Amino acid sequence: MVNLNSIRWREQTDGLLTLGRIIVGVVFGLLALSFWSLQIGQYDRLAEMAENNHDRTISLRAPRGALVDRNGNVLVDNRYTFNISVIRERVADLDSSLDLIGRVTGADVDALRAAVLDQRGVPAFRPIVIVPDASLAQVAAVQARAIELPGVIVEHDPARYYPSRKTASHLFGYVGEAQEHQLRDVSDPRVRLGAIIGQSGVEQSYNLLLMGENGARRVAVNNVGREIETIDQVSPRQGRQLRLTIDLDVQQAAEEAFAISGFDGAAVALDPRTGEVLALVSLPAYDPADFVPRVDQQTWSTLNSDARRPLQNRVLQGRYAPGSTFKVAMAVAALEEGAITPDFSVNCAGGARFYQRFFRCHTRHGRVALHEALEKSCNTYFYTLGSMLDIDRIHHWAAALGLGEPSGIDLPHEVPGLVPSRAWKRLQFNQPWYPGETLSVAIGQGAVSVTPVSLAVMMSTVASGGLRPVPHMLQAVRSGNGWVAADQPAPQRVGLKPETVAAVREGLWMAVNRAGTARRARITGRDVIGKTGTAQVISLEGLAAVKAEGDSGRRFRDHGWFVFAAPQDDPRIAGVVFGEHAEHGYLAAPIAKAMIEAYFAKHDEPEGERPNGA
Amino acid sequence: MLDRRLYAHIDWWLVAAILTTSTIGLLMIYSTTYEPTTGLVGPQLSRQLVALGIGLVAMFCCLGVDYRLRAGGVTAIYVGLLAMLIYTAIYGIERGGGQRWIEVGPFNLQVSEFARAVVSLALATLYATAWSKQWRTVGWLAGGLILAAPFLLIMRQPDLGTAATLLPICLAVMVFAGLRLKFLMVLGVVGILSTPIVWTYALEDYQRERLSTFANPEQDPRGAGYQQIQARITVGSGGLSGKGFLQGTQSQYNFLPAAHSDFIFSVLAEEHGFLGVLVALGLYLFIIMRSFDAARVAADRMGMLLVVGITTGFAFQVIYNITMSAGLAPVKGLPLPLMSYGGSSIIATLIGFGLILNVRMRRFAN
Repeated sequence: MVNLNSIRWREQTDGLLTLGRIIVGVVFGLLALSFWSLQIGQYDRLAEMAENNHDRTISLRAPRGALVDRNGNVLVDNRYTFNISVIRERVADLDSSLDLIGRVTGADVDALRAAVLDQRGVPAFRPIVIVPDASLAQVAAVQARAIELPGVIVEHDPARYYPSRKTASHLFGYVGEAQEHQLRDVSDPRVRLGAIIGQSGVEQSYNLLLMGENGARRVAVNNVGREIETIDQVSPRQGRQLRLTIDLDVQQAAEEAFAISGFDGAAVALDPRTGEVLALVSLPAYDPADFVPRVDQQTWSTLNSDARRPLQNRVLQGRYAPGSTFKVAMAVAALEEGAITPDFSVNCAGGARFYQRFFRCHTRHGRVALHEALEKSCNTYFYTLGSMLDIDRIHHWAAALGLGEPSGIDLPHEVPGLVPSRAWKRLQFNQPWYPGETLSVAIGQGAVSVTPVSLAVMMSTVASGGLRPVPHMLQAVRSGNGWVAADQPAPQRVGLKPETVAAVREGLWMAVNRAGTARRARITGRDVIGKTGTAQVISLEGLAAVKAEGDSGRRFRDHGWFVFAAPQDDPRIAGVVFGEHAEHGYLAAPIAKAMIEAYFAKHDEPEGERPNGA
Repeated sequence: MLDRRLYAHIDWWLVAAILTTSTIGLLMIYSTTYEPTTGLVGPQLSRQLVALGIGLVAMFCCLGVDYRLRAGGVTAIYVGLLAMLIYTAIYGIERGGGQRWIEVGPFNLQVSEFARAVVSLALATLYATAWSKQWRTVGWLAGGLILAAPFLLIMRQPDLGTAATLLPICLAVMVFAGLRLKFLMVLGVVGILSTPIVWTYALEDYQRERLSTFANPEQDPRGAGYQQIQARITVGSGGLSGKGFLQGTQSQYNFLPAAHSDFIFSVLAEEHGFLGVLVALGLYLFIIMRSFDAARVAADRMGMLLVVGITTGFAFQVIYNITMSAGLAPVKGLPLPLMSYGGSSIIATLIGFGLILNVRMRRFAN
């Protein structure tokens, strides 16, 4: 039953419904436009913001390159340090878990609790390291209980590993996190905050080769930073493996001989033909493993405050009076300057008068020529040379042989020694040079000081007949499956007359093989040449004064030197041994002997003893 | 009880659109409650399925009863709603800063979700026949009272969003019942003029903060502005075709809060892109237009007003939620009908559609 009223409200309704539909349609159109604007118009910007929300990159540390010796023995390698960590949110009962971990690993449970407590601000989904650098036994023990220990994981990180502990620690150096001043050097982007870089030794000199290329893992994280999944991963690339010129046997022979001798010191052995370093010892040594994964504050301050200065590399940084070893340079200077011939002789009456003063010798040598003076280390003879030569000529020849100059060895922080000259004295003291001072220099005392490595260079230069090598340790760099030889620094030719070389060699041969001071380095069939030296640390009067105060005087005892080369005619090993407070040079000689023997043991047999037949 | 002839008049197109939309909703709930680390899906999906089942049963039950209830029946329903709202205010469960739920067996019931249908029914009954001229003002005032009681009870929970959805319902029903547009304009002017008073006295601090944050979300990117910024990023990063099902980084990695409830449309936009948005908008538009059609063909004034009320509430909520999900409206805890997770919401919505279908299928009956 349709009535008028009904028709009226229906017309009205239809109009309103149309209006409502238009409104809804327009609003939906606007909504579609809004979504178009966001999803198409602002897509790039908003998609990037979404990426930034969840994308995180985690660096994967690259292992450093390994170091091997010239025979392929591994000197420094890498290992994985294992950290036992807990992820608290996955642990059902933290206390009982820690108790169990303590029981199976032998770790102190209170220390574990403290480790967790220390990091309670860390989000619960992040692992907290509770046993850093865990042993394999501890790792195995924890993994065997994995079912009882949910949320306990083992993480690993590459770290340096030293198979032979303290051996050659100054040579390799240690590694550590980049320091602020190192970060300022922007030449290599890999050296950045948190990067492990070489802090001394070869690790520092060849850091850029040894450093690998860190990898990265891109992960998606959720709103609280929890890792949900790995998006992609670039594996880390290990640093280059380096082959050093070091001969581990020679190195160990030297260190063992030092251990027997009972004193600290330094030793370097070079191949005089090339300058390759065969061994480099500085004692006392530190343990580079103390710096892995990082050095703790207490160890660091102990190392720094130790009076024996274990962090100092005495080979490059110790400066000492050369004592009688300087007589080698004096002999070369006198012969090359033409001041004397090898036959020139001096009568030693237990000393001699120069410039109105008596200069003492250890004993009464009688008449000695150059070779006997070197053999017996006659001071009188070299005082005489000192009185005949100008200090600047001595300086010239000593410098030519490498004394008072940096050797250029490929290790950081080398310091030069000092060979005085007129110019030096004027600059330093604004005083003229007095001839009497030359006499002290002539026997390696007075202002002259040298580093062990520079004496090794001197000995190499004289023994090889005038080829001054630059000591170096990098032999080859690993490339793919082979080795690429490293650039070798060229030796410098020092013009020495053959007669000079022959005369000095003979005197040094006699010092070892006759009645000389260095008989303890004698090896049958090896024709070792050498020269001892004793460096006064304090004057005799001074020593008496300290002893009177109750000091044992050990730290004022003389240093002992021994420079050496072998064999005489065609030297293949030359070097120096420095015995700190060893009192006598001849006590250093057995260490050299140990190195020479170790070197030849694996090279050829002495000529006469070679077995017949092929 | 259900006349067999009436079956033929069920709007199966509308039913199909409703089912399609709620199925999309289920998929989005699956996606938003999926845990990428464990591969597990949250309990929400099965709960929503149960609620959807209950809702569908309720919807078809609504068809069985003629919408032309006697005034006494409507009054009983309306008073029942008020009683349950009062019960909620006294014994309700407090969660997320509001006391909005009551415990019904294993489920929590949000009574306010049913207010839209009940208020629509009450107003439709009130204006079923036109009020005579001299009583007209009384009629409008009576309508205002019907609105005011549940409105105030819901606002007190506090739940301004849900309460606010009652306003357009009431206005639409009154307009269709003959309220002059001139009068509406006066109301609009009064509303605008009273804004500063509302701002100062009626709003809570957090509401003021939300509104000012909406105007400038960057002022507080970690706090109140966070959801809005993240919503825009979520929607925008979906691009044209989306990141793919379960591939939305914003939702999967929890950068977007309330992804399975209030912000489910953002996730749809992220994972299915602008094309997915168009499909969803099209579905909602179809449902609204189809519902309006039920009003047009309704057999009587009451049916027409009932459909108008329910459809307006539905449309308002859909539009507000979608606008908010794009970060273009202040964040309010309003679910998206048919899609958002929430048992009360889906059941109440389906009951509403049950009433609309009811009106439409009885369009020839008298």
